[in-house]
Parts: sequence; C-alpha cells; structure tokens
Amino acid sequence: MKTAGAQALSTVRTAATRPRTARRPRVAEQFETAVQQRAAATLGMWVFIATETLFFGALFFAYAIARIQAPDDFAQASRHTNLVLGTANTAILLSSSLFMALSVRAAALGTRQAAVGFLVITAALGLSFTGVKLAEYALDYREHLVPLVDFAFDPRHARGALVFFGLYFATTGLHLVHLSIGIALVLGLAWRLLARRPGASAEHVAIAGLYWHFVDIVWIFLYPCLYLVSRA
Amino acid sequence: MRGDRVSAYVWTWLGLLALLAASCASSFVPLGRLNAFVNVGIALAKALLVALVFMHLRRDRPIVRLVAVAGLAWLALLFGLSLADFLTRGP
Amino acid sequence: MTEAVRAGDGGVLGERGELALHPPASYLEEGFTIRSWLTTRDHKRIAILYALSITLFFFIGGAAATLIRIELATPNGDLVSADTYNKLFTMHGVIMVWFFLIPSIPATLGNFLVPLMIGARDLAFPRLNLASWYIYVAGASFTVAAMILGGVDTGWTFYAPFSTLYSNTHVVWVLAGVFVVGFSSILTGLNFIVTIHTMRAPGLTWFRLPLFVWAQYATSAILVLATPVLAMTLVLVAVERLGGIGIFDPALGGDPLLFQHLFWFYSHPAVYIMVLPAMGVVSEIVACFARNPVFGYRTMAYAIIAIAMLGFLVWGHHMFVSGQSLYAGTVFSLLSFFVALPSAIKVFNWTATLWHGRITYEAPMLYALGFVGLFTIGGMTGLILAVLALDVHLTDTYFVVAHFHYIMVGGAVSAYLGGIHFWWPKITGRLYSDRWARFAAILLFFGFNATFFPQYLLGIAGMPRRYHEYAPEFQTLNVLSSGGAVLLALGYLLPLVYLSWSLVRGARAPANPWDATGLEWRTASPPPKRNFAAVPVVEGPPYAYRPSPAGIVRAREGTA
Repeated sequence: MKTAGAQALSTVRTAATRPRTARRPRVAEQFETAVQQRAAATLGMWVFIATETLFFGALFFAYAIARIQAPDDFAQASRHTNLVLGTANTAILLSSSLFMALSVRAAALGTRQAAVGFLVITAALGLSFTGVKLAEYALDYREHLVPLVDFAFDPRHARGALVFFGLYFATTGLHLVHLSIGIALVLGLAWRLLARRPGASAEHVAIAGLYWHFVDIVWIFLYPCLYLVSRA
Repeated sequence: MRGDRVSAYVWTWLGLLALLAASCASSFVPLGRLNAFVNVGIALAKALLVALVFMHLRRDRPIVRLVAVAGLAWLALLFGLSLADFLTRGP
Repeated sequence: MTEAVRAGDGGVLGERGELALHPPASYLEEGFTIRSWLTTRDHKRIAILYALSITLFFFIGGAAATLIRIELATPNGDLVSADTYNKLFTMHGVIMVWFFLIPSIPATLGNFLVPLMIGARDLAFPRLNLASWYIYVAGASFTVAAMILGGVDTGWTFYAPFSTLYSNTHVVWVLAGVFVVGFSSILTGLNFIVTIHTMRAPGLTWFRLPLFVWAQYATSAILVLATPVLAMTLVLVAVERLGGIGIFDPALGGDPLLFQHLFWFYSHPAVYIMVLPAMGVVSEIVACFARNPVFGYRTMAYAIIAIAMLGFLVWGHHMFVSGQSLYAGTVFSLLSFFVALPSAIKVFNWTATLWHGRITYEAPMLYALGFVGLFTIGGMTGLILAVLALDVHLTDTYFVVAHFHYIMVGGAVSAYLGGIHFWWPKITGRLYSDRWARFAAILLFFGFNATFFPQYLLGIAGMPRRYHEYAPEFQTLNVLSSGGAVLLALGYLLPLVYLSWSLVRGARAPANPWDATGLEWRTASPPPKRNFAAVPVVEGPPYAYRPSPAGIVRAREGTA
C-alpha cells in the first residue's frame, strides 16, 4: 500500500543510479521528476524499436517467403553480392556499437570529453559504413544488378534474382536511411555536448545509443540474408 | 550505463567479431538447408549480445524487456502462422 | 469523506475536488489565435484538432456512401459507371477506415481523457502528439490529392495483382497517404503506452484504472505492433507497381497471397483498434447510467488484453477462399472462434452491470446500449463467417458487408458518438439538449438497422459486394437499405446541429454533470491547461457507484 507522498512507480529506478557528476537534464513540465522523465524516454525508445522491428520484419518476411519459393535463384543471386565489402561493413558497424556504448557510459559518468570523442568515432564508423555501401552500390550497378536500371542476369535464375536484388536494394537502402538519421543524431549530440548546449544530457546519449544499436541489429540480420545464402 | 565496465564492452565486441567470422566461415561449408539455420542462429546470438550488453537489457526494468521481446514475438507470429499456409500447400 | 482540503494555490476544494474559488482559466481560454491552436502542445487542444479533422473526413466518406446507396436503389448501373463505382467504394473504405475510424476514439477521446483519467498533466510526449496530428494531415492531403486526380479503384484492400499490375488509377498517391497516416497512429499508440506506464497518479495501480484506459492501452499495443507491417506492405505494393520486381506477381515467381498475409496481419488487428476503444467508452457510460460498478472488472480488463492478443492470430479468416492451404484455413477458423470468447464475456458483463441498477436513459446511455446490441449481432455474424463451410458461400457477399458495418458503425461509431455526448460537458464546458440528442440516437439506431439488416439477407441470397449493378430480385431489400440510409444520415447530421448550438447557447456545465466517478470529473469543465490544480491521489477502486462516488479522491496538499 503506497503512502500519499510516494511515487506509484515501483518499477522505476531510484536516485541511487542517477549520475552525480553529469549535468542534470531539464525536467519537462508534463513530468513530476527527472526519474519519471528518464523512464518515459527509455520506454518510448524501446516501443519505437518494437515498431521498427515489425517494419523491417515485414521486409524480412517477404524475403523469407520469396526465398522459400525460389531457393536456387536466391542462392545464385547472393553469390553476386560482395562478400568482402559486406563482411567488412558488418565489422565496422559492430565496432561502432562498441564506441556508442562507451560513449553512453562516459556521458553517464559525466566525462564529457570522452563522451564526445566516442560519439565522433561512432559517427565516423557510421560514415565509413555508408561510404563502403555506396561503393558497393556502384559496383552492383556496373554488374547490372540494379532492378529497373539495366538489370541483366543469367536467364535461368533471372526471375528470383530480380526479386532478390529488389529486396537487397530495398532493405539496404532503408537501413542506410536509418543509419544516416543515426549519424546525424550522434553528430548533433556530440556538437551540443562539446558546446555545452542544452538538449545533450546523459539521458539523450543513452536514448540515441538505443537507436544506434537497433540499427546495428538490423544489419546483423541483413548480412547473412544477403551475403551468405550460398557460398559453399 | 555508468555501472558497466569497459572490459565488458570490449569482450562483447570481440565476441561479436568472432561470431561474424564464424558466420562467414560456416557459409563456405556445404551444409545444405542447415546453413540457413546456422546463419540465423549466429545472427540471433549477435543480436542478443548487443541487446543485453550494449542496450543494457540485462538490467533494465521488466516492462522494457517485455517490450523488446514483444516486437520479436509478434514477428514470430507473422512468420509462423503464415508459414502454416505456405508450407502446407499442395504440389 | 466530505472534508474540504486546501489546494496549493489557496483555493478551497469542495466535496468532490472542484475548486470553489479562484478557478483557473480553462484550456480553451489559453490563447484564442489560430496559431495558439496550431502550435499547441496541450493534449486537450490536439484532441479537438483531431476531432475536427476526422469529422470532415467522416462526411467525405459518408458522401461516397450516399452515392453508393443511391446507385444501389436500382438494379441497373445508371447513376455512375462501373469504374466510378469502384472508386466510390474504395474511397469510402480508405477514408472511413484510416481517416475516421482508426483515429476516432483514440486520437480524440483518448488524447483528451487518458492524461485526465490517470491524473497526469499531459501525455508523455506532447510535441510528438502534435506531430502526430500534422502527420495525419499530411497523409490526408495525399489521399485528397488522389481523389482530385480521379480516385482509386482497387478497394481499400489493395489486393495484388490488381493494385500492382492492372489498375490504371493513382494508386501510389493513396498508398502514400495511408503510409503516412499510419505513422500518425503509431506515434499516438507509443505516446499512450509510455504515458500509462509511467505517469499514473499516486495510488493508481493497474487494477484501479478505468476500463477506458485499459482499452486505450491495449489498442495502443495493437497500433504499434500491427501498423508497421501495413506500412511496409504498402511500400512493397508501390515498389512492385513502380518497379515490377515480382514479389506479388505469379508470372515472375511471386505470390499474391504474400500480399494478403501481410495486409491482413495488420488489417484484422486494425478492426480491434476500432472496436476496443469503443468497448472502453461503453464500460464508462454503462456504469455511470446504471449507477453500478462494472460487473467483473478484472475479467473485463483481461478480456480487453485477450481480444488484443488473440486478434493477431486470426487474419487468415479473410483468406479462406483465396487459395491458402486448407490446413491454414482450419487453424485460422478455430482461432477465430476463440477470439469471440472475450468479446462475449464483455457483453455478458455489461448486461450484468445493468442488473439491479438505477438505469436512466440519457443520450450517452442510448448509444452505449445500442452498441451492446448491435455489436452482439455483428459479433455473432462474425462467428458465422468464421465457419469455413459457411464462408465459402457468404464471402464477398453483402453478408460480410453487413457484418462489418454492424461492428464498425453500429458498434464503433455508436460508441464514439456516445463518448462525445458523455464527455461533451467536460470537453466544452457546455450542456446540449438531451431531448434532441436522444432523438438523434434513436433515429440512428433505427436508420442503422434499416440500412444494414437487409444486407444480411441480401448476402445470404447471394448478392455479391462491390458491384454497381445487381440482379433484379435483390431490389426490394436494396431499396429498404437505401431508405434506411436516409434516416442514418439524418441521425449523423443532427448532432452537428445541436452540439454546435450548445457551444454558443448551451448552459455552462458543472464539473461533474453526470455524477460520475473517474478523475476527469474531479476537475473543472472544461479543465484548466494543466488539468488539475493539484495532482490527485487515488485510494480506491474505480466505478465506486455504490453506495456513492463521494470522497474517493482527495488532492495532495501543498502541490500544484
């Protein structure tokens, strides 16, 4: 039974885990406490991630059904993706997650410069990923693998290959859009932290971190679906 | 979060890279249909590492973990019940 | 508990928490410019922005329906061509589903009431809430553009391969419109989930929440889990239509049923998005006007959750004759029987709530009782359709049309109107003429049944849906239906008149004109911008109608 003065939020962390050295975020007027605000922001980002899981998930589902219906075509098509670049990109993105996590931790500890540094590295890795991906697109274009634009493939497998590459560009393109938003968010946070502007607290970095890691997880699943269908 | 140690993050990262190498390497081993399951399994393991360690799901509130699971569970519904159709069609 | 409690700003609270002295300005008086409305972060104002928008679209969709019913008064296709008729029912469906029903109760009543009902000052993310409305408007403008460009004829269901390969209308514009408006509803759902989890007043545990809040919560879960799948499906249709990559095209190795699985995975839960909030409204109204707590409160809450979850498992019942495997059909049929169970339990419990009640029949109660009856009929006919063998005969006939209109119109729209009437004094601070309101409610009930009951008979007799002409033996029932539609239209137009009238000439409403329980009635009508002078503390269960609602809530001293 709660007393009149207690918060009815038994599932929320108490002041014990609130960072002492980091700058306190401003509490928006609809919230009663900073703890409540942090709980809402975290839950909100996770709910958003759940929606994105289903958004990308529907695409993965279309891929799965198409692959079940044309397994050989998909196998052949997948062999034409660039395994070296794809694997390198996966490693780049996984590493970016490491630095993002380090940044979130640094921000929570109040070590502003470390947080900024890690954010910049995260963004740089994200930009590298983007660069590699665009280079890969250029190579795909040269090999006539872009649907609608001069697509040409072994006629025995062209039908399924067209579906494969349609899904390839749709999924990686959508992923790139999400990654770009993440890079912009991260750079924006780094700038505001560096310049000691409002809107950049440990809470903001943590929420951005959740988003970044989610984008990484999407790629974790895309990689085997696109690059590893049949290499044996 | 401030309570995490850097070493935990670094080990997780190394684990992720190892899984990446394993996934890539296993695709060169002809296992037929099993390749797909191995790949998805490794991807799941990687995703779990990122979610539990980097995204702090290890120590988050139950509701946050429920939401995280719900997204995947609903996706599983979409896959599962639809496959009940696609896999049971006649020749 | 009738002692007066001092509120933080020095005003004295009366028995039920209304401020007797120094009333703050209401949210309606916080700025009179259009700019103050278009840049508001107040959930109450955003609710009104939504209400105006969806009302506009309701009448546009209704205009399409009017033309349909006029056409169908005669067996020949003499009013419009077949192509135009296809465009009419498509736009009717698209607009009514996505631009009226899906947002209706959540974005208007939900937005207004959820923070009030949980004792919060606003939703968790007010700016996101406003963005939600602007996204709705953007999506709506794409769709209006499609209408101006000549309309779309694929049906609101956009089945491939017609939508992807053969339709010559501006499908992509409507796909874009619905895609965009989908994000509006996702964000609303996200806002509600976070708000209900993190911003409940002290003492307001989950099982003290009004059932309206439970309903909004479950609806929000569906919104965030189902809508993204629809969004992606529409993208795939657009990509297929513009790029021909072949995921849905059998000639290219694709599968049109892939579209249907993806589409109905969202669209079946979507109907629960439309009906669950309505059920929440009905619980609030029935309890108040029977002066009884809702019978079996916990069961009602569990039933809401069960409906939301089971609703995700039944989508294949829209595809029984589409070519899906018999095994899948059987599974989906069985699951569809299960989803009827929690709905039936709710009907029993509403009925039990009336038992030994001191029932009065104000307009909201008439709408709520209408819901219970019409939803029951619609639900039972849904069970009939869930039977595989019967569905083979009834699918794509007017039986289906009647079934879903009984739920959507007889059910959801009735509840929406009931909710508007119930909370009108709270939202606007005005009272409307209950005589006119009751007349409209009764007119609507009879008009609705006259319009849609004949359609059950038409369906059984074999009249197919989505055809602009029909065999002459169906004419009598069609004329009856079209005639009923006139009454129905009147029933919808009347509230526009007397509710608008109440805004200028209606008596000022007290804080709690219905003597209802619930935190929203503990503050002024209309509420001040920050909802409560002091954050309320809840100490008892909801629906404390027996013996009396007095004194359940008191304000925390000293805070404002």
